[in-house]
Amino acid sequence: MTRGTFVVLGGGLAGATAVATLRNEGFDGRLVLIGAEHLPPYERPPLSKGYLRGEQAAERIAVRPEKWFGDQEIETRFGETASALDLGAGSVALSDADPIRFDALLLATGSRARRPAIPGADLSGVFDLRTLPDADEIRAAARQGARAALVGMGFIGAELAASLRSLGVEVTTIEHGKVPLRRAVGPEVGRVIEGLHRDHGVTMHLGRSVEGFDGAGRLEAVLLDENERVEADFAVVGIGAVPNAEIGADLGLGVDRGILVDAQLRTIDPRIYVAGDIASHDHPVFGRIRVEHFDNALRSAEAAARNMLGAGEPYSDPHWFWSDQYDMNLQLAGITTGYDDFVVRGSLEERSFAGFYLRDGVLIAAVSVNRAHDVRRSMRPIGRRVRPERSQLEDPEFDLRTLVPKRADRG
Amino acid sequence: MAEFQPAGPAEIQDGEVDAVEVDGRRIAVANVEGTFYAFDDTCTHQGCSLGQGELDGTAVECPCHGSQFDVTTGSVLRGPAQDPVETFEAKVENGNLEIAL
Repeated sequence: MTRGTFVVLGGGLAGATAVATLRNEGFDGRLVLIGAEHLPPYERPPLSKGYLRGEQAAERIAVRPEKWFGDQEIETRFGETASALDLGAGSVALSDADPIRFDALLLATGSRARRPAIPGADLSGVFDLRTLPDADEIRAAARQGARAALVGMGFIGAELAASLRSLGVEVTTIEHGKVPLRRAVGPEVGRVIEGLHRDHGVTMHLGRSVEGFDGAGRLEAVLLDENERVEADFAVVGIGAVPNAEIGADLGLGVDRGILVDAQLRTIDPRIYVAGDIASHDHPVFGRIRVEHFDNALRSAEAAARNMLGAGEPYSDPHWFWSDQYDMNLQLAGITTGYDDFVVRGSLEERSFAGFYLRDGVLIAAVSVNRAHDVRRSMRPIGRRVRPERSQLEDPEFDLRTLVPKRADRG
Repeated sequence: MAEFQPAGPAEIQDGEVDAVEVDGRRIAVANVEGTFYAFDDTCTHQGCSLGQGELDGTAVECPCHGSQFDVTTGSVLRGPAQDPVETFEAKVENGNLEIAL
């Protein structure tokens, strides 16, 4: 279909990518993009890095220049949410206007920051980081010599710690796990990250829990278990995200944390597709997964948009992400869940290595620290479920691309 | 008309991409089945080195954030980059690479 009305609900990277893809692929019908934030879509990765440090201006992180949406004849409704969706009528209602009847609908509402249910979490000076205004608040508090307490040492916490150190902020982190980033990268790489942050003067409390935030109107200290106090001028909570998938349940679409979709990112209602953080998709290699990374928002939105136009292609992305901390570039492709063997190429101590996650001998994921080539070259082998020899993985001279024969690669 | 300038021996293998310095500027060079293509080494997304990326056919992929460019035209094949990279004429003379900035 190249005519009719398509509505995209969600004004983040996925929503913006979807409308761009629809236009690029020749859709010339009515196209409406609805976003809850007042700003046009922007990239979130710089919010903990270049934007927070003042190195990248807001217009540099826009997914598209604001003018582009008008040029492409895309109707934008920023700062609005759908007040009602009527599947019988096939329409979406906004607060201020008549319902918009759609022929196809993409849900890409993203995630929100998880807030801890502990005392004092609503004190002034306790932030989380999801939006550009959140980053502005943290930036304003991040004066030279200020004391920051970071709750959670996932990617948000780890990247923030690095950026805040470079701004001259004293950083203390509190993490529930014994090793930072354990769930994402495993303990082997997590310990490398721990060493990196300690070398940069970050005070780390691992295996500890936060009991509350203390202060008279404004944050003064974070309260840990065993009655320990961490004095702080501000705190940032980075303990994960909650998918904005409630709309799926409201529509009766089937929800298990994310909205359930098939390999083509389509719900049980053939008019409705899902992309980004909220898409619990049936992956040809990894099975049912939901992924909260930038690249997934981009690639799943491209795939969903093409499928809305009838492409019928499965979304088989290898799932890849990166993280920049200090001068370290970490990348990971694949899904590490359930790995039972970890093979290193290079040196963990020197923070220059690739690591390969295996399950029953099958390569399921690859990570790199300052060796991005090895992750890129592992993507196809991961997609082909190859069973490499340990010696091949360990040998820096072995070309990982050869794990997939050229001919099979094209087929 | 830009003049060709020496860019060192043409050592980049078929299917590989690397970066060279020409007139103080970092230029990426890709070898596609024996033909050399030169383009700005700096990714238009966030400034990473495309010469450190991966070449697949005529597509170069940025090592940092996965943007893809067509090395023959500089056009964006895949985001997150939005803007094309500048391309330059390249040729091999007596085993040496020359690039016209």
